[in-house]
Amino acid sequence: MSNAENLLQNNQLADPSKQQRLSQLLARPDIWQAANEHKRQRGGIASGFSSLDALLTGRGWPRGATTELLVNQSGIGEISLLLPALAELTQREQMVVLVNPPFIPYAPALASAGVQLEKLLIIHPRGQKDELWATEQALQSGCCGALLSWQGRQAPVDKDLRRLQLAAREGDCLHFHFRPQSCAASPSPASLRLQLGSDGDQLAVQLLKQLGGQSGQRLHLARSADLVRRDQPLH
Amino acid sequence: MLWLCIQFPKLPLEVLTRAQRGGAESHAQAVVEQQLIVDANQTAAERGVETGLTIATACALCANLQLLQRDSQREDQQLQQLAQWGYSFTPVVSPQAAGSVDAGDDHFACLYLELSGCLKASGGLQPLLQQLKRELRQMRISCFMGLGHSPSAARMLSQLPEHRQWLRETQAPPSPQQWRQWISFSPSKLLDCDNKTIAKLYACGIKRVSQLLAIPLSEVGSRFGRNFVDYLARLNGTRHDPVPSYQPPPEFHSELFFPSPLDNSEQLLFPAGRLVRELCQQLQRRQLYSHQLRWKLDFGQQGCKVFSVEVSRPLLDAQRLIALTKLQLERIKLEQPIQALSLTCDQLLPMEQDKLDDDLFGKDTQVQRSHQLLDKLKARLGHEALSGVTLKESYLPEQAWQSADTLVLQSNRRKKGHQLQPINAPRPTWLLSRPDKLHSREHKLFYRGEIKLLQGPERIDGYWWQHGRHGRDYYIARGEEGGLYWVFQDLTSEDWYLHGVYA
Repeated sequence: MSNAENLLQNNQLADPSKQQRLSQLLARPDIWQAANEHKRQRGGIASGFSSLDALLTGRGWPRGATTELLVNQSGIGEISLLLPALAELTQREQMVVLVNPPFIPYAPALASAGVQLEKLLIIHPRGQKDELWATEQALQSGCCGALLSWQGRQAPVDKDLRRLQLAAREGDCLHFHFRPQSCAASPSPASLRLQLGSDGDQLAVQLLKQLGGQSGQRLHLARSADLVRRDQPLH
Repeated sequence: MLWLCIQFPKLPLEVLTRAQRGGAESHAQAVVEQQLIVDANQTAAERGVETGLTIATACALCANLQLLQRDSQREDQQLQQLAQWGYSFTPVVSPQAAGSVDAGDDHFACLYLELSGCLKASGGLQPLLQQLKRELRQMRISCFMGLGHSPSAARMLSQLPEHRQWLRETQAPPSPQQWRQWISFSPSKLLDCDNKTIAKLYACGIKRVSQLLAIPLSEVGSRFGRNFVDYLARLNGTRHDPVPSYQPPPEFHSELFFPSPLDNSEQLLFPAGRLVRELCQQLQRRQLYSHQLRWKLDFGQQGCKVFSVEVSRPLLDAQRLIALTKLQLERIKLEQPIQALSLTCDQLLPMEQDKLDDDLFGKDTQVQRSHQLLDKLKARLGHEALSGVTLKESYLPEQAWQSADTLVLQSNRRKKGHQLQPINAPRPTWLLSRPDKLHSREHKLFYRGEIKLLQGPERIDGYWWQHGRHGRDYYIARGEEGGLYWVFQDLTSEDWYLHGVYA
C-alpha cells in the first residue's frame, strides 16, 4: 500500500469522530443554519397569539432565555400578552415568580385568565443586590416555569443581564424582563427583545432582536373586545 | 447485662475549649476552681501543671498559662448532651456528673450505657466501641471506657489499665469468669469509696480486691460498714445495681462557647457547622425532624441576638442546613463580639415515611427543588418578602384578593370543598395598593394626560350597613397614550380615583 493510500484511509477513519464533533457543535441552540431552518426544533412555549408565534423562531416564547419587553407605560396590555403562557405554565404545575411587580397582581383578573394562583409567587427583595440574587436563584432553580422582573431605578449592568440569561438557560425558565424603551439603544444579551407600544385599541409589538431569527417585524395585537368597547357616554 | 462506662476525664477543659479550631492547642490553658487547678491541656501538662496545684504554683511553672474558670453548669449541659448522644445507641443510658473539688470527691463525669440489646444492630462489640470512640473524637471529647456486668463494675474496670488494653482488642463480651478475675485482680484503690475507707483498707494490708473478697462478708461489714458491703455485692453482681435512667428531652439544644469572643460572622460558620452536624445526627437516629432552627448569638453582658432558619420540609442534610444558616448570617451585622453560639429546636416531630425529602437515588424532584428555593429565598430575604395571592369573597375590589402565605404554594394537591370563583367581569391585572386620586377639571379627568371613559358605570356599593359606606361607580377609561385604566367615582364625595391598570 502506498503512503498516499494509507493517509487517505486514516482520514476516512478519523472522519466519524470529526463528523460527531461537528454535529455536536451544530446542535448548540445559539448556532443558526439557514439550510436547516425547517428542521429546527420548535421548542418555544406558545404565547397564545398565533400571529406572534408565527414570527418567533421557536413558534413561541424562547425557553430557557431572557425575553426583554420594552415598555414605557403600563396599561397597554403588556401583561395580557404573557397571561396565556403563564396560565399554561401554572396549569402544568410550574411556578411563576414575580420579582418586585410595580403594582399588586390582582387575583380575580389572574384567576379568570386561567392562572393557578397557588403556583404564583411574589417576592419583594430590597435593594438591587438582593433583587438580582433572588432572580438568579429562582431562574436557575429549575422549578420555575416563568419569572417576570421589572427593572428598578438603576439599570442592571451588562454582566448582570448576562448572568440572568445564563441562569435562565440553566434552569430552563422563561424570563421576562420589563425595561423602559430608553434601553432599546443599549445592547443586551437577551435572546428576544420586543418593543411594546399602543396603537389605538391595539398593542403594537416590534421585534428588535431575535436570536437565530429575523427581526424588525411589526405586529398589532387586538385587545380584548370587552375592554375596548365604547359605551354611550353618560356625562 | 452488659454495661459500658465511658469516663470523661477532660470534660471541664473540653467544654470550654471545644469550639476552638485545632491550632488553639498550642498555648497552655488550665481550668480553675476555688484557687485549685482542676484540669490542664497538653501544653500545660508538659510544663508540669497538674490537677490539685494552686494557681500560684501553676503560674510559677508556666508563666503564660491561660486560666479559665470552671463552669459546672456548662459541664452538666454537655453531659446531658452526651447522654442524648448515647441514647441514639441504646435506650438504657445513665449520666453521672463529676464530683466537685470542695467535697473532696474527684471522680470524673461518666456515662453508663447498657449494651446487651444493641450489639447485634451495631455489628458486634468491637465495631460499636470503635464507632463510639470515633464520634467522641469528632466531638473533641476525650474518654476512656470500661465494660462490666454492672455499672459499678464497669466503672471500676474502666480505671484498670489491663482491662482497657483488653477492651481495645476484644471481639466478644467476656465470660463471667473473666470479670471475676479482673475484679479480684484490681487494686483496692480503684474501689468507689471515700479516701478514709481506702486508707483503712491499705492499713489492713488489703491491696487487691481479691484479698477483700476472701474475708467473710460479715467481717467486712463490721469493719467498713453496711454501705461498703452493699457496694461489694453490687460489684460482684450478687445484688442489683440501679442507676437513674435517662429520658431524652423532646427538643434539641446545644451550645458552643468561645473563650476568645468572635467578631466576624464568617468565623461563626465553623462552629455553626459543628452544631448542625450534631443536630442532624441526633435527628436521624431518633427519626425526628424539625421545622425551625433557632440560633442564638450570645454577646455576654450586651444581651443576645436570636434568628431562626425555617425549613419547609423535613431536611436532614447538614450541608443544606448550613447553607441556609449562612444566608441568614450574611444578613446580620455583628455589633458586639460573640461569646457563645447556641442552636435550639423546640419542636421535634416524628418523621413519616412519605415525608422524607430524599428518595433512594438522591434525585431532586420538582417539588423538592421548589422547597429548596423557597427556603433559600426566605433565609436571605426574610419571611415577609415572599407572598402569594388568593381569592377572597367580597364585593369590594380591594378585598377580593388577599396575600397568601407562601406555604399554600407547596400543596400541589387541589383543595377540596368550596372553590372561589373570580367575578365574571373585566378586571384589571394590576391593582393600586391605595386608589390614586385623579385631577378633574371642567368635566375632564387627568392621569398623565387626559383620560376618557369608555365603559361604565359598574356600581359597587358595599358595606353600607357598616360604619363606612363604599359606594362607587367603576369605569374603564383610556389615557392619551393608549393605556387602559380602571377608575371610579366615589358616590359620597364625588371624587375620581384610579384603582387599577389593565396591563
